[in-house]
Amino acid sequence: MSETSPQDFKHLALTLAGAQESAPWLDTLRFEGTEQWLEAQWPGRRTELWKYTPLSSLQRGQFTSWGSAQAYTLADEALLTLDAIRLVFVNGEFDAQASSGDAAGVVRFSQADSTQQALIEANLGKIVDTKRHLFASLSNAWTQDGVLVHVPKNTKLELPIYIVHISTPEAAAATANHRVLVLLEESAQAEVIEHFVSDEQQQNGFVNSLTEIQVGANAHLSHYRMNLEEEHLIHIGGVHINLASDAQYLGFTLSEGSQLKRIDYQICHKGKGAHAGLNGVYLPRNKHLLDYHTNVEHEAPHCTTSEVFRGIIADSARAVFNGRIHIHPDAQKTLAELSNKNLLTSDQAEIDTKPELEIYADDVKCAHGATVSQLDQTSMFYLRSRGLTEKQARTMLSFGFINELLQDLPQQAVREHLHRHLTQLFDKDQFVS
Amino acid sequence: MLDIRNLNARVEETEILRNLSLNIKPGEIHAIMGPNGAGKSTLGNILSGRPGYEATSGEIEFNGKNLLEMDIEERAREGLFLAFQYPVEIPGVSNMEFLKASVDARRKHLGQPELSSFDFMKIARETSKRVSLDAAFLKRGVNEGFSGGEKKRNEIMQMMLLEPSLCILDETDSGLDIDALQVVAAGVNSMRSPERSFIVVTHYQRLLDFIVPDYVHVLAGGRIVKSGGKELALELEAKGYSWLEDEVA
Amino acid sequence: MTEQVESLIRKDYAAGFHSKIESDTLAPGLDEDVVRFISAKKEEPQWMLDWRLKAFRAWQEMEEPTWAHVHYPEIDFKALSYYSAPKSMADKPQSLDEVDPELLATYEKLGIPLHEQATLAGVAVDAVFDSVSVVTTYRAKLEEAGVIFCPISEAIKRFPELVKKYLGSVVPQKDNFYAALNSAVFSDGSFVYIPKGVRCPMELSTYFRINEMNTGQFERTLIVAEEGSYVSYLEGCTAPMRDENQLHAAVVELVALDDAQIKYSTVQNWYPGDKDGKGGIYNFVTKRGICHKNARISWTQVETGSAVTWKYPSCILKGDNSVGEFYSVALTNNFQQADTGTKMIHLGKNTSSTIIAKGISAGRSNSAYRGLVRINAGASGARNFTQCDSLLIGDRCGAHTFPYIESKNPTAVIEHEATTSKVSDDQMFLCQQRGLDAEKAVSMIVNGFCREVFKELPMEFAVEAGKLLEVSLEGSVG
Repeated sequence: MSETSPQDFKHLALTLAGAQESAPWLDTLRFEGTEQWLEAQWPGRRTELWKYTPLSSLQRGQFTSWGSAQAYTLADEALLTLDAIRLVFVNGEFDAQASSGDAAGVVRFSQADSTQQALIEANLGKIVDTKRHLFASLSNAWTQDGVLVHVPKNTKLELPIYIVHISTPEAAAATANHRVLVLLEESAQAEVIEHFVSDEQQQNGFVNSLTEIQVGANAHLSHYRMNLEEEHLIHIGGVHINLASDAQYLGFTLSEGSQLKRIDYQICHKGKGAHAGLNGVYLPRNKHLLDYHTNVEHEAPHCTTSEVFRGIIADSARAVFNGRIHIHPDAQKTLAELSNKNLLTSDQAEIDTKPELEIYADDVKCAHGATVSQLDQTSMFYLRSRGLTEKQARTMLSFGFINELLQDLPQQAVREHLHRHLTQLFDKDQFVS
Repeated sequence: MLDIRNLNARVEETEILRNLSLNIKPGEIHAIMGPNGAGKSTLGNILSGRPGYEATSGEIEFNGKNLLEMDIEERAREGLFLAFQYPVEIPGVSNMEFLKASVDARRKHLGQPELSSFDFMKIARETSKRVSLDAAFLKRGVNEGFSGGEKKRNEIMQMMLLEPSLCILDETDSGLDIDALQVVAAGVNSMRSPERSFIVVTHYQRLLDFIVPDYVHVLAGGRIVKSGGKELALELEAKGYSWLEDEVA
Repeated sequence: MTEQVESLIRKDYAAGFHSKIESDTLAPGLDEDVVRFISAKKEEPQWMLDWRLKAFRAWQEMEEPTWAHVHYPEIDFKALSYYSAPKSMADKPQSLDEVDPELLATYEKLGIPLHEQATLAGVAVDAVFDSVSVVTTYRAKLEEAGVIFCPISEAIKRFPELVKKYLGSVVPQKDNFYAALNSAVFSDGSFVYIPKGVRCPMELSTYFRINEMNTGQFERTLIVAEEGSYVSYLEGCTAPMRDENQLHAAVVELVALDDAQIKYSTVQNWYPGDKDGKGGIYNFVTKRGICHKNARISWTQVETGSAVTWKYPSCILKGDNSVGEFYSVALTNNFQQADTGTKMIHLGKNTSSTIIAKGISAGRSNSAYRGLVRINAGASGARNFTQCDSLLIGDRCGAHTFPYIESKNPTAVIEHEATTSKVSDDQMFLCQQRGLDAEKAVSMIVNGFCREVFKELPMEFAVEAGKLLEVSLEGSVG
């Protein structure tokens, strides 16, 4: 297939923005997004943020139409079993039938009342830094609907918010925009689960997803984000979080690979004493390209960050991990730690990892570590000496390598779902050469 | 030796010591006891000049000199030694190098020649044996990776090498098992002499079974609420501190 | 306490004097004629001139690089002079007695006596002053062992086959902007050749000195260690204090053939600029070595000078079982910027690399470690260990770590660790309570922090490096 030029792709993408109808109160955001998208430099190999991740597969597809909600067949266990407020989107369109439950403050943009509209206008596109995140501009240009989760002061949402994004075969060569805005006011508490799945039939859709999160003073958010789409789908996603004083964000993310997946996490410590915990797992195989970029900005003192990412890279897949921690001059007494560990299980697999520290304050404790290795030979020997085959031993140790991050997940439904899903994957020898 | 008169002291903005007076003569051992938060550690820190600890009024005379006017290292060179409650780790700086530099500084101050590396090594080895520390510790970084007990024994070894005239032991016994405690106590006792005085700050009476004090002072609410002989420690052990606090209140 | 520490690191630059030596200095400017002039001045053969011109033409097509975390005003390459030599060197003194005593005095003052009887035992020195080599000591003794140690200008004439074979073989002319510039206009530097199986009987050392104003220094060093040989080499650098920035763009190439070992140590103390960031050397250096089978290259550097440092001494681990090592201390103060690190390119099987980088930032300076560990598909059993530690002194400086790790082989094991810390108030208090003054305490803690690197330096220079840090940390107690 011939590639469209970056310029052509940029323009084609905008014809989609014009093809939509959206609420007039979102127009400013859309116009600004359009302008920024057009002005933005298309990333190449010399663009540091995209150094290892070519966008050619995006240009190869002709993503010039919107997906639309269609009937889909999902295996019974494809979605989580849990008591939650459930919002299901199919190819970017809301599926009322599959959705259930409601709570004050949880609403789609298209259904927002005037107070909620004001909240959305004041915050949407404001938490993300579009200069650093190219595809956020495109999301702004495209935004028509989305989910607002607004939790008022001193309120706890009793049920988790479960947002599902399903891609179906009909979305082949089409695009879908996924947009979420989470606003927690002072001392509020909530749990948000984002789950991306697809019909098992092959397709090559493009999902551009953007989640913006504001955690208010002393508020607590648990956030899960699972990218379990099949391997032809292209996903470019961003999660952007601002933390006020004493806020707590606990995030977990897991992605399977595909022809192109790029997920950015940006966490800003804006107020004193905030804490961010982010754990992640990436599992590319075949010829996948999977790229996680995380960036933590410590702008205030006494904040803490703990980040652990682990990946298993199989077959001819390539994984990219870039974890940056930036300590601003006033962010004294920061404690920040990042660990990234990788297992390569094949001769053709590749990992490019770059943990970065940029520090402008002296009274801080920061550390990062990265490793690339194969399975520990002593452990292999130990298991085999107990009668396991080499393959069994490999499977067991590889699974153990990521299970360290799964086993302690507080949300039981996510934990059990991932455990089951990954066990199947590992049993099919997908990650063992 | 040491004369503290009407000392008031604070840490940052909090008043910790109130109108404290204490006179220590050469050769004496004074135990300072008291409940948590009484200001026991503050006394050692004020005497050694720890940054953040400030004497707001009162006087301290050490060997006839005004202690409060001296820098931290001047006090040390004059013979004041603080055994830290929480000894600090300094990665990469070997114990040997650190000890030699400290001893050289003290000797220079006393007008004595520096020891040759060879002589110093010999002395350091012998001293480490006296506190049951393997000589290999001398080559490791200062307190780096030492266990709690090893750190405390390292403090006593430094004390032996520096031969101070006033030794302040700040809760040196806390966290030690009985064997380690005996080693520490034996080290201290071996250093007792008519010219050398000790201030033993402790929360537990147990230490005083091994290092027998001449005087016991009870510190509560930032002041000395009771002084007595060694039998006071036993009384405290039996009755606790609350009766004293009641008495003061 | 922090203020106290800060006041300690206000340093005086001891090597900042200027020697009154009459020089032949080429007028500023850069074109092909300048390249021809330098080549003619050095009486070079045609092939060397052609090689330079090829580099110059490539350079003209290249773009000056910009770096994300390094900032300095644009360099006017036309305003620099590309050749300067003491006049007294024009008629080529044959022995030390004929060398201008003022020149010898300059090195004496820097602590580098050039009379053999006065030198450090077992160290041969090549002294490079602006664009020319002044003298190389102990040549006779080295020649006995078959070791060649001479100015590269001389090697081009005396050993053309060796130079032709290896010059540009590790750092090609077009490798990067500054390497291309160096290839076109390099004036002198050292050439070392160790024959098969020979263990070089003494330490080799080159001492670089920039003296003239507005001159760039472009030295070129080439070290070839034949099979099974060993050499340890050290370079030192200083320059006078001036308000203008001066450019230093060197290229160093190391070739370690099968089973050979090269130890390359640098104590870099170019003038760093004053406390307000005025003046100082721009130090843009390309250093790279290639290791053949079972060979080993160790780079050790102590970087305390220069206004801006940009250098990544690298190893191409081509041969199976070859070893690359990088040990670095970079101390920046005032407005200095250092962007330094290494590249370890693993091509052969069972290759291993170790990187220990220590950065100390004070004042308003910024120090960055930038490194690349690349494991190619064929590098089975490759191993890397990297440790980057930063020590911050004061709250207006920066310390950064940018490690790139790329692995294409599942049997490779790579470990990277980085930490940041400061000289803690508790550490200072402990040292002072034991009678050490604040100055001694800081220098002791900093030296302790750097220990792992210092122990890699040859004995004499480890002492020198320790002293250099101490001088850098000297000042009045606040």
